[in-house]
Amino acid sequence: MALDPEKQISSLWKALQGSQEANRRTFYQMRRAAIEFAGPDANPLDIGVKAWEIIGKDMGKSNLPRMNLLKGEEGLMMSIARAYQGLWTTNGAVVKIEKGKSPNEIFIKWERCPWPTSAKEFGASMKEDLLGCDKYLQTFLDEVNAFLGTNLKIETQKAIPKGDGVCLRRLYKPEDK
Amino acid sequence: MGKLLFEWDYSAYPGAKKYPHLFKPIDIGNLTIPNRIKYAATEDNLNGADGFVTDAGVAYLRERAKGVVGGICTMQGVYMDEGRQGQGYVGQAAAWDDKFIPGLKRLADAIHEEKAVAACQLMHCGRVGAIETEYCQGPSDVPQRLRIFRPVQEMTKADIKQCLKEHIEATERLLKAGFDIVEISGIVGYLLSNFLSSYTNRRTDEYGGDIRGRMRFVVECIQEVKKVCGDVPVGIRLCSDELLDDVGGNTPEESMITYEMSEEAGVDYMSVTLGWQESIYPVISRDIPQGNWLHLAERAKQHLKVPVMMAYRLFVPELPNKAIEEGKLDIWEMCRPMIADPLMPKKVLEGTQDEIRHCVACNVCLARLFRDAPMTCYINPVCAHEWDPKYQIKPAEMEKNIMIVGAGPAGLECAWVAAERGHEVHVYDKREELGGTIIEASKAPYGDDELYGQIRFSKAKAEKAGVEFHLGTEVTPELIEEEMPDSVVLATGPNYIKGTAPGFDRANVVSVLDVIKGTAEVGDNVVVWGNRKPGIGVALFLAKQGKKVTIVGKEKKLGKDINPSFLWRYVGYLRQNKVTAYSDCDIEEITDDGVTVLTYAGYRIPVKADTVVSSEREANPILKDVVQQNSIELFVIGDALTPRNLSSAVHDGYRIGIRI
Repeated sequence: MALDPEKQISSLWKALQGSQEANRRTFYQMRRAAIEFAGPDANPLDIGVKAWEIIGKDMGKSNLPRMNLLKGEEGLMMSIARAYQGLWTTNGAVVKIEKGKSPNEIFIKWERCPWPTSAKEFGASMKEDLLGCDKYLQTFLDEVNAFLGTNLKIETQKAIPKGDGVCLRRLYKPEDK
Repeated sequence: MGKLLFEWDYSAYPGAKKYPHLFKPIDIGNLTIPNRIKYAATEDNLNGADGFVTDAGVAYLRERAKGVVGGICTMQGVYMDEGRQGQGYVGQAAAWDDKFIPGLKRLADAIHEEKAVAACQLMHCGRVGAIETEYCQGPSDVPQRLRIFRPVQEMTKADIKQCLKEHIEATERLLKAGFDIVEISGIVGYLLSNFLSSYTNRRTDEYGGDIRGRMRFVVECIQEVKKVCGDVPVGIRLCSDELLDDVGGNTPEESMITYEMSEEAGVDYMSVTLGWQESIYPVISRDIPQGNWLHLAERAKQHLKVPVMMAYRLFVPELPNKAIEEGKLDIWEMCRPMIADPLMPKKVLEGTQDEIRHCVACNVCLARLFRDAPMTCYINPVCAHEWDPKYQIKPAEMEKNIMIVGAGPAGLECAWVAAERGHEVHVYDKREELGGTIIEASKAPYGDDELYGQIRFSKAKAEKAGVEFHLGTEVTPELIEEEMPDSVVLATGPNYIKGTAPGFDRANVVSVLDVIKGTAEVGDNVVVWGNRKPGIGVALFLAKQGKKVTIVGKEKKLGKDINPSFLWRYVGYLRQNKVTAYSDCDIEEITDDGVTVLTYAGYRIPVKADTVVSSEREANPILKDVVQQNSIELFVIGDALTPRNLSSAVHDGYRIGIRI
């Protein structure tokens, strides 16, 4: 049977997109279940952000075997940035990493991200989408910091849910004072 | 000269002449040990879930005590807290109450009955503990790298004080039970090592800070245990190198400070170890050369006056004998070599070294413990069954004439066991050499040559037991009918097969055996069909020659037949040698350009290849019919029954050998 590469790649591409979409849909369905279960007094935003906190912590834990200090804290920051990049890329985002002017900072830029669109589709606010991402990234980083005894920080400078067109985050090591 | 518990005279033994440094006495504290051999504390998961010693545990240790021929035999570490946060293994023995003393005494008595020195270890498992509870304890709540371990709860000062008290009370119980030496465990991620390491101790109080602060709890433990022990020697096991540089662990220099401080605190010996369960570097697997870590014992010797002992890839007596002679080591410790052959040092002493069943450093023993299963050994079928009469070699009720077809690991194991039982055993093989497919398997890189040790062992045992070999003789139906044995054991090994997909009949499809033998021509781009051990072995064999290798296999996971404690080594080497692996896939077609890989989901991946190596196997039913037609008792063992691994072959061989 002759192999048709275009057909193979096209099928795989569709399957990948379907899987990414299913992943996002599943998150929001689980979120809806949690909101219904929590009752009318619960704040959906709190529930959504809490979910991202749990996911971030767990993903941080999953990544611990790949986190180390063999290349110093600069190397560690790059490992963390790449982990973030990988986590979002597999979900359909386009994420770029750029070194900052100082060796103590790295910029991570989300040039495209499907999550805000999914949030809108399933009735979550842009505020929740932004806070959820921030919480995910933060708890991931907290886990790594606790594991390696480091004090790395992350801050959001631009965000797609705020209408900035991209998400831009700075991963950095605070200057010693 | 200290107190000698048992008189041993080694002068008449050949081993004492060949390895004089192993069989000379040494003082540990006030105790004189007649030789330089120690069975090191090894968890076996053989005790009850409630921490009580069992018959299985006693029998296991008694056999090792017999093996050390007067040396030290150490019981596994006991946990000391009723809350069980110190318990790291489901079958770990306990010493948190006086009710455990009678069981512990059984162990000490068993060791003494074999005229060996009885040691017991105190082992709070720290961040790798809490097997039955939600949280484990540690100096700081540093997250676990491996999910298998529980979250860590930071110990308060009251917790530390309580833990110290538990060490003291457990020591009192061990002494009441009759142990001659008390050893404190501070290795691989257990509590004391957690306090020592800059990775896991982030405390800012007097139990943290610099290495002296982090050593405080260990020093207090040593001092308190020493107080209780009086004249009874106290030893400690500590890491000479944590191998945790990737997570900010101690430097080797800091480790030497812990050694010196332990000596100052009063320990009577130092057992040198290295690596943690969380380390990313291999330490005890067979890809590490024998004797690789002796420099660490030598370094410890430069920092200490007390005797220094070490295990870790010292599987042959030549190495420790020389190291002791050169002043690099004082005592040869063993764990894995004596799991594989409990009588190993005894055989060294008696000059029957060729009858040692050598450990193949696969670490299945470790893998079993982590899965809450009793200890087992890849190549020693009796391990952890020492108590069970069904596993012992007993004279046959009726002597039989047995024909064993195949001189591989299954056939040879069966042969020597059956012959020892009094049967007349004939082993046939069409090859001129013993070993079956282990001959080829042991030519794979990264230490797989050690697999052949099993063949040397069973050959020596078979020759001693009077097995007759008929090498270069292919067994035919006519030969069976001519010989008409009472029993036939088919240990022919598997059939190496080719797939049914188009192209498998091409000339560039070759057998794994021919590739390893060097009789097949292999191009630069190779696809290996089969993702079990034979496929992985040949892939590495070829990749080491600079070839681009891709593994394609039907199993869902690569290396399904390899235990996880060793698989990670192979996976690392495959990655290092840039071998691509497609699991849960098959070859759909072999073409002029290469191979079309078909995934489980129906996707197709083109892979360039000029050679396809087939490593897939199936059961081998050859000769089965003729044996049955002649109403001869039939046994099929090893890969002939169903293709598995060396361990299954050996275990099959033994089990049939004892019941035939």
